[in-house]
Amino acid sequence: MWSYVVRRLLYNIPVYLGIILLVMASLRVNDPVTAFLGKNATEESYLAIQQNFGLDRPFIVQYFDRVWNIVTFDFSATSWEQKRPIGELVADAVPATAMITVPALVITAGISILIGLVCSFFRGRWIDKTLMLLAVLGMSISFLVYIIVGQYFFGYQFGGDGGILPFDIEGYDVRLSKLSFWLGSPFEAIGTWMRFCGLPVLISVIVAMGYDTRFYRAVMVEETGRDYITTARAKGATSTKIMFVHMLKNAMIPIITRVMISLPFLIVGSILLEVFFSIPGMGRTLIGAINAKDFPVVEYMSALFAAVVILTVILTDVLYAVVDPRVRLS
Amino acid sequence: MNWNLRRTAVLLATTTAMLAAAPAWAQKVLQLPIRTDGPKSLDPVVGSTTYDNMACAQMYETLLVYKYSDPYTLEPLLLAEMPTSEDNGKTWRFRLKDGVFFHDDECFPGGKGRQVVTEDVFYSLKRIFDKNNELKNEWLLKDTIEGLDKYAAEQNAAIDAGGDFDYDGQVSGFRKIDDYEFEIVLQQPVYRFLYVLAMFQTSIVPREAVEYYGDRFAFNPVGTGPFVLDEWIPKKSLTADANPNYHEVLYPAEDEWSRDDRRNRLHRAAGQAVPFVDRIEFTMFVEDQPMWLRFQSGDIGLTQVPAEYFEQAFDGRTKRLLPETRQRGVRHEIVPLLDFIFRGFNMEDELLGGYTPEKRALRQAIHLAIDLDEFSETFYQGNTIQYDGPIPPRLQGHPEGGDGPVSYRGPNLQLARQKLAEAGYPDGEGLPPIKFYTSRGGNNAEQVEMMKRQLAEVNINLQPELVDFSTLIEFTNNKKAPMFGFAWSSDYPDAENNLALFYSPNESPGSNHYNYKRPEFDALYEQILTMEPSPERTAIYEQMRDMVIEDTPYIGSMARTRYYLINEWLLNAKPTERYYSWFKFLDVDDSKR
Repeated sequence: MWSYVVRRLLYNIPVYLGIILLVMASLRVNDPVTAFLGKNATEESYLAIQQNFGLDRPFIVQYFDRVWNIVTFDFSATSWEQKRPIGELVADAVPATAMITVPALVITAGISILIGLVCSFFRGRWIDKTLMLLAVLGMSISFLVYIIVGQYFFGYQFGGDGGILPFDIEGYDVRLSKLSFWLGSPFEAIGTWMRFCGLPVLISVIVAMGYDTRFYRAVMVEETGRDYITTARAKGATSTKIMFVHMLKNAMIPIITRVMISLPFLIVGSILLEVFFSIPGMGRTLIGAINAKDFPVVEYMSALFAAVVILTVILTDVLYAVVDPRVRLS
Repeated sequence: MNWNLRRTAVLLATTTAMLAAAPAWAQKVLQLPIRTDGPKSLDPVVGSTTYDNMACAQMYETLLVYKYSDPYTLEPLLLAEMPTSEDNGKTWRFRLKDGVFFHDDECFPGGKGRQVVTEDVFYSLKRIFDKNNELKNEWLLKDTIEGLDKYAAEQNAAIDAGGDFDYDGQVSGFRKIDDYEFEIVLQQPVYRFLYVLAMFQTSIVPREAVEYYGDRFAFNPVGTGPFVLDEWIPKKSLTADANPNYHEVLYPAEDEWSRDDRRNRLHRAAGQAVPFVDRIEFTMFVEDQPMWLRFQSGDIGLTQVPAEYFEQAFDGRTKRLLPETRQRGVRHEIVPLLDFIFRGFNMEDELLGGYTPEKRALRQAIHLAIDLDEFSETFYQGNTIQYDGPIPPRLQGHPEGGDGPVSYRGPNLQLARQKLAEAGYPDGEGLPPIKFYTSRGGNNAEQVEMMKRQLAEVNINLQPELVDFSTLIEFTNNKKAPMFGFAWSSDYPDAENNLALFYSPNESPGSNHYNYKRPEFDALYEQILTMEPSPERTAIYEQMRDMVIEDTPYIGSMARTRYYLINEWLLNAKPTERYYSWFKFLDVDDSKR
């Protein structure tokens, strides 16, 4: 297995370098310096900024410089817009994003798999039809509508100080990003998390559940027709055992694929949620950097995302072999 | 332990706990919104946006400032009195206010902030010219102070050669008299100079802090301002505590306030020392809904009224507060902005640019086909003023009633068609599509559709390009946009600032994005630079304004009127967007929250 992993990693090196090259080259189609000039720019200020940003160097020098920094994990390059080291930006943004995306993924996957199992078991009956109708309804409404309506009712009308719901309209407590807060005052941490992250997570789960439920139902329905299910029934296995032991185990490959595909997005986060709920996460940082033509941030974050995608794909293959002994990595 | 003893112990414990908690309860905290993702830097010398200004102005101070009761008039802030000149504005004499200390900070020996002295002023102004600081704001003082440009050129050349910017170098225009008195000699009298000294980029910073924090100075502001930074979480929030060593600044006297202001009880704190609150907390809102809901919840003291929420608070027709809003104790303030909203033409563009009668007629035809009133009603709830020329209302040179002696403000479709024919495109025949660049933010997509429809009525085909703001700047700075949508907010209340937009040395990437070049205009501009306000100067302003209207390098103009809502618990609020150090005058009444 390890030789497989090493080989896959080596194969992906040119792909990775190509991604960085593509990102850097496509960004430089436009001139970023003008975006950073003041109201009444002069030629001198243009040249000063170009020099400060290192854009006066040949592209190839900029490229190798960036690649070297990335492969040596040197994240000390500074954001052009925020004047902060990128390592610091990422370190601040990733936990804030993860506070939303990780619980959302876990809850969505858990509930969706369960509903998928129930629907497949009661396939064609009213419970299946009702749940699928709700799933389609959930998918059909825009994410933005959920956010605006959710913020208004759950945050403003029924939430906030003195509200019946524990949610706030927007905001984020940076203590949530610190492990010491969770270990030192776990109850306060959970309350704070619920206040600022509960609503974004709830919205995220509702939206994602529509898609996931339909997918997992389709996977499970396929499994219900297999011979091993009939055999299990013939041997007198209970419905619960058939669903949660036999079916679930055999459906693990598509489940793993689905979950693993989502992993890189745990880091990138949801731009809409982070913008509307003022969560200083990766999505907001990335979109801000793109809009501001903050090339170093975009380049580092693209490189980070590409690395996570590559590693996730390799890890997915490894997990296939772990859950299904018939799969051999070679 | 018997019952009484236990009760006494509980009572004592409770009282002790309450006493311990008392300072927290008593603390006055002011919560305010910033309607974007906030400042990019807390170093005034690299700041340029309104939000940089809003944040920096709490921690730093300038030599001069606008009056809270009249934000068009300057008064001393770090000075003991207004600067004086005995040679008609060439040499200005300054005396620093006694007892102004920098914030206590670890950059100073013993962590104790020291008094502001003459050298701090010279150092702060020199920093603007240091190329390590990106020279974003050098235009403020370029060609202004005797010897400063030459000194800066030498120092920046030294940087290029691998050396450092020597802040100890002498500038002939900076004359130190003593630690608290100095003179600044200008190359020639420049009237705007005093206004520049009120701009946040010229805030006074201590050299110790800049050198101590280095690259981190933008995150560790050390100024003389009424607040000391507690924490800045970029794109999220900024909190600052009241400066315990703040120099004496008094709330404006009662007789400085107008009758309307007194009706709003703005004079209630007259003569009292500021700041009134112990802490100020800014929250950044990229989207309007959370800001609006936060205001409705009473969590933030005031808010600009976003266009889409206007009719939730005001009667759309009468522009009066709705009774239910008023019943909640909310009041409003109307703030006229020194705005110049326009759609510009690149005067170097092959199709739209040029100064021949035909080229001019084409731009006038486009101008005449546009109905700005319809834009105002549809997109600004009618809360704008339409006017001729580039000089916004309230400034000298603004045409009376907004109507200039020359005007191509539409809609006048008949004249537009006539002008099109004069331009060589009868009924629009043979006129290629016109590329119009504008940012995709706000309701610009809808505005562009309206513009397209209005121009189509005279057979002009507009090809809109909606791009992000940085791309728009890039295209205008590089002279690649034939036509573009922009707005200019005056840096100071003098029309010279707006007329500079048409001065040819300011061509792109400078603020003259039209790349307008008229030697007669340039000569007049150079003349007004040195003139004090006078009927003669106003007459020249008008002459320049009419020259620009005739050449039509833009379609315009509009100035917004901003509506602010103020919660009952926020006291002393008279919002202005002229400057942002007025938050120190605000107070809160927690009993009304």
